[in-house]
Amino acid sequence: MNARVLVVEDNPANLSLMAYLLRAFGCTVLTATDGAEGIELAHRERPDVILMDLQMPKLNGFDAADRMKANPVLRGIPIVAVTAFAMVGDRDKILAHGFDGYIAKPITPETFVEQVQAFVPLGRADGAT
Amino acid sequence: MPTADKSATKALHVKIDLQHTEALLKTGALQSAIFNSANFSSIATDAKGVIQIFNVGAERMLGYAAADVVNRITPADISDPLELIARAEALSAELGTPILPGFEALVFKASRGIEDIYELTYFRKDGSRFPAVVSVTALRDAQGAIIGYLLIGTDNTARKRLEQTFQEKNVELENANQAKDRFLASMSHELRTPLNAIIGFTGTLLMKLPGPLTPDQNSQLRTIQSSGRHLLSLINDLLDLAKIESGKVEVHFEQVSCRGVVAEIAATLRPLAEAKGLAFEVEIPTIDIVVESDRRALSQIIINLTNNAIKFTDKGAVRLQVAERLKNGHASTEIRVVDTGAGIRPEDKAKLFQAFEQLETTSARRHEGTGLGLHLSQKLATLLGGHITFESELGIGSTFTVVLPRKAA
Repeated sequence: MNARVLVVEDNPANLSLMAYLLRAFGCTVLTATDGAEGIELAHRERPDVILMDLQMPKLNGFDAADRMKANPVLRGIPIVAVTAFAMVGDRDKILAHGFDGYIAKPITPETFVEQVQAFVPLGRADGAT
Repeated sequence: MPTADKSATKALHVKIDLQHTEALLKTGALQSAIFNSANFSSIATDAKGVIQIFNVGAERMLGYAAADVVNRITPADISDPLELIARAEALSAELGTPILPGFEALVFKASRGIEDIYELTYFRKDGSRFPAVVSVTALRDAQGAIIGYLLIGTDNTARKRLEQTFQEKNVELENANQAKDRFLASMSHELRTPLNAIIGFTGTLLMKLPGPLTPDQNSQLRTIQSSGRHLLSLINDLLDLAKIESGKVEVHFEQVSCRGVVAEIAATLRPLAEAKGLAFEVEIPTIDIVVESDRRALSQIIINLTNNAIKFTDKGAVRLQVAERLKNGHASTEIRVVDTGAGIRPEDKAKLFQAFEQLETTSARRHEGTGLGLHLSQKLATLLGGHITFESELGIGSTFTVVLPRKAA
């Protein structure tokens, strides 16, 4: 898979884990460490899919998703929450904020890239433009 | 005739009671007892509200002597004027007629024959104030015309103080509860975030993405992986438990097909059993049993029990059974997990459902697990209105049964 994936995550270890796995399977990876930086990068680079942590400094994942989905330029890019489902009710909250789906933390390295691929719009996963 | 006898007796009683009552009224014993009560303020007014009688209780509560107030003022003059305005406005709106914020506001309902008891604030002679509960009655002459009002009041200070204390305690409890919830939410995030990287990078190494592994490296990495996963399930169970204890787990009752739940679990866990060389059998009645339950919670319970059965059974079979039972006239649905495993010693049976009790097994092997599974399952079963029972024979096997109530149609 050589999709262009934007990973927004404030924890450096988790960020490098996801980036490492995606690169190992041929993706181009862009990284941001808070929601505001994520939005800026999404504007500039127009990735195929965005993976987003929820609890982040400055602009958290929920607010960042709200803003992206309210923006006509970014609205079409799938956003996937990567979350540990910390508390009851989080799942409904995630979908209500316009996320297109979620991947549970801790991620399973063996299946992670496959899970991400499921969210990449058709025609982009194979590198077609 | 028993009915006639009864009413005759009743009539006799009423007659005797009336005689007693009349005697009390004639002597004035009742009136003087009421008026001399020092714990109730009794204030009687004329039809216009001017105080005519001011008893010893009123003197004590309000600090005025009867002579200070009788024929001089109305009860409105010693009541909180702001409360009178508010009361007049509320009554005007309620009864659809303009009511003045004076004595009229205090007695309007009583004047219309409506029973009235309310809270107000009285001012004492020294200017201090206290909350009171006042009951108002209209006094009428023989023709039914209003000739005055009786206001009986009690000092409400103690109850008000208690109410305030309760309110303050409630706020404190609410704050403490919120602090605990915040702690739980952040703990779950803080504890799981580092584990994500530990389990994740162990996985990438085991996938040999960075390069080949020696057999020793491979086996040591597997140990890190399984320990990491164990720690994660411990954290998850603890958080689940904390959520249940704090009442944060919501169950949504719906129609749940037992066949569906059991089939799904069988599909997931059969490979695990067969990998250990165990037979995995499912016995479901031909007609599906539908229970009113929370699907997710029910699944979690049966998954826990089935996982345990597979874990503690070295040879033989693990069997899932669904059946209906009628016991003492109560219909219930039973989902049983039967194994041919190590069994539970009689002395261990009592602590089976306690938190962090993992029993020593005959195979003397430490089984991976948190020791919270059964405790958690029992709590969940209780949330579903049911419970878990078990039978076990050492060396022969165990049967764990989830008993769910059947709602009467």
